[in-house]
Amino acid sequence: MTSSPPPSSHSPTTTAPAVKADHLIKHFGDLEVLKGVSLEVPEGTVTSIIGASGSGKSTLLRCMNLLERPDQGELAIADETIRFTRNPQGDIIDLDRRQLQRLRAKVTMVFQQFNLWPHLSVLGNVIEAPMRVKGLSRKRATALGEHYLERVGMADRRDAYPGFLSGGQQQRVAIARALAMEPRLLLFDEPTSALDPERVNEVLGVIRGLADEGRTMLLVTHEMHFAREVSDQLVYLDQGRIAASGTPEDVFDDPRCRQFMAPAA
Amino acid sequence: MDFSWLSDPFYQGYLWEGFINTLWLLAVSAVGGLILAVGVAMARLRGPRPLAWLAWAFTTVIRGTPLLVQLFFFYYGVGRLLEGLPGIRDSMFWPLLRDPFFFAALTFILSVGAYSGEVIRGAMQSVPRGELEAGRAFGLSGFQVLYRLWLPRAIQLCLPTLTGEMILLLKSVPLVSTIALMDLLQAANIIRDETFLVYEPLLLIAGIYLATTIVLTLVLRLVELNFPGMRPTRRRWLPIR
Repeated sequence: MTSSPPPSSHSPTTTAPAVKADHLIKHFGDLEVLKGVSLEVPEGTVTSIIGASGSGKSTLLRCMNLLERPDQGELAIADETIRFTRNPQGDIIDLDRRQLQRLRAKVTMVFQQFNLWPHLSVLGNVIEAPMRVKGLSRKRATALGEHYLERVGMADRRDAYPGFLSGGQQQRVAIARALAMEPRLLLFDEPTSALDPERVNEVLGVIRGLADEGRTMLLVTHEMHFAREVSDQLVYLDQGRIAASGTPEDVFDDPRCRQFMAPAA
Repeated sequence: MDFSWLSDPFYQGYLWEGFINTLWLLAVSAVGGLILAVGVAMARLRGPRPLAWLAWAFTTVIRGTPLLVQLFFFYYGVGRLLEGLPGIRDSMFWPLLRDPFFFAALTFILSVGAYSGEVIRGAMQSVPRGELEAGRAFGLSGFQVLYRLWLPRAIQLCLPTLTGEMILLLKSVPLVSTIALMDLLQAANIIRDETFLVYEPLLLIAGIYLATTIVLTLVLRLVELNFPGMRPTRRRWLPIR
């Protein structure tokens, strides 16, 4: 660990939540994927969204940086209420582009398929957004990038290209890329689902370390043990509705999701 | 076989001029055409409806008519029409409009724009959506996603195909001998007319075309191999087993 800013420290939940979603509704064609979901992620805490495939958990996560635009509802991210343009019926029809870009710099994402940019080196992937979105100098961005590559144990591969790395290594680089923006909120969309089983732990280890640092994170995962272990809050989504939420213990004990949890418990 | 004419400095001059003109035409058409091709691809993928429609019509017309017909159309048709405009002979554009090279380059640029435009469009569509989504998720603007992520990846994907397009372009160049532009074929025609030798000049320029194609292929292969992020398994110098 060299230079560079310290990560956001444990902050009490008295400050505004990192994200507050109110009654989100999202359709894909005729299919209602989110049926009025409300969710709050307090600053400095970890929230995991669990649920069966098709329950809407990825869609909910993707609404948090507006990769999916909800059709109805309210959303506040990092102290800012999203300015939706609505039609007379109240349906959301557009967004404020500039606000969107500003917010996305504060809420970064780790994808299931890593989605690294294969024509940029490891370091190039990490410094791209800090330089072009936050306007940092190359020198400053590089220092930041090296710091976070060190953090995920990938500093020695800074000049390699993504195609030369294993899945686990790529996902760790993707985590460094998300950290280098120094976001208020980190989103993880099934970060280990595309990995070989023997690579899962190296990525979970990094995420657990971030949780211990007190970073604000929202993750969608199928790793039940892991979710139970790192989360302050667990949200069980079933067919587009929150079926249970609360501390991991509460949710795991809830009869409504017992059946779903059974294989993991 | 009689190659004694090769020592004639006049013929050497024709051949040299023909070779230089060929390379120039290739370079100008490749650069101009590929820029146009990116525009055509973008228009079809993301342009407003009328522009997308226009790009489709352009592609269809250019790809649907023979290159030689297009060349005649621009040189004898458009060129002669322009010539008739009052005052054009005094304008600053006249030296350009009198020059067959201008019409050859124009025709070829449009041709490359249409053919390679489709190649680039296909390549842009095959860039994994997740890579572009990651760009947007990190707050890059639409234009930044395009020129930092989408286009470089698309070009990487279609480089081997574009190499093929460039080779076809090189071998379309002899068509310009029909509009009195001194290319290699024109040089060979002059030599044939004056020496009554048919095969030798043709053999010579065929050899020059072949050599140029090989050099072009290797150079573009080099570009391909040095493209950032190229996978090691594909790093073979000659694309043969």
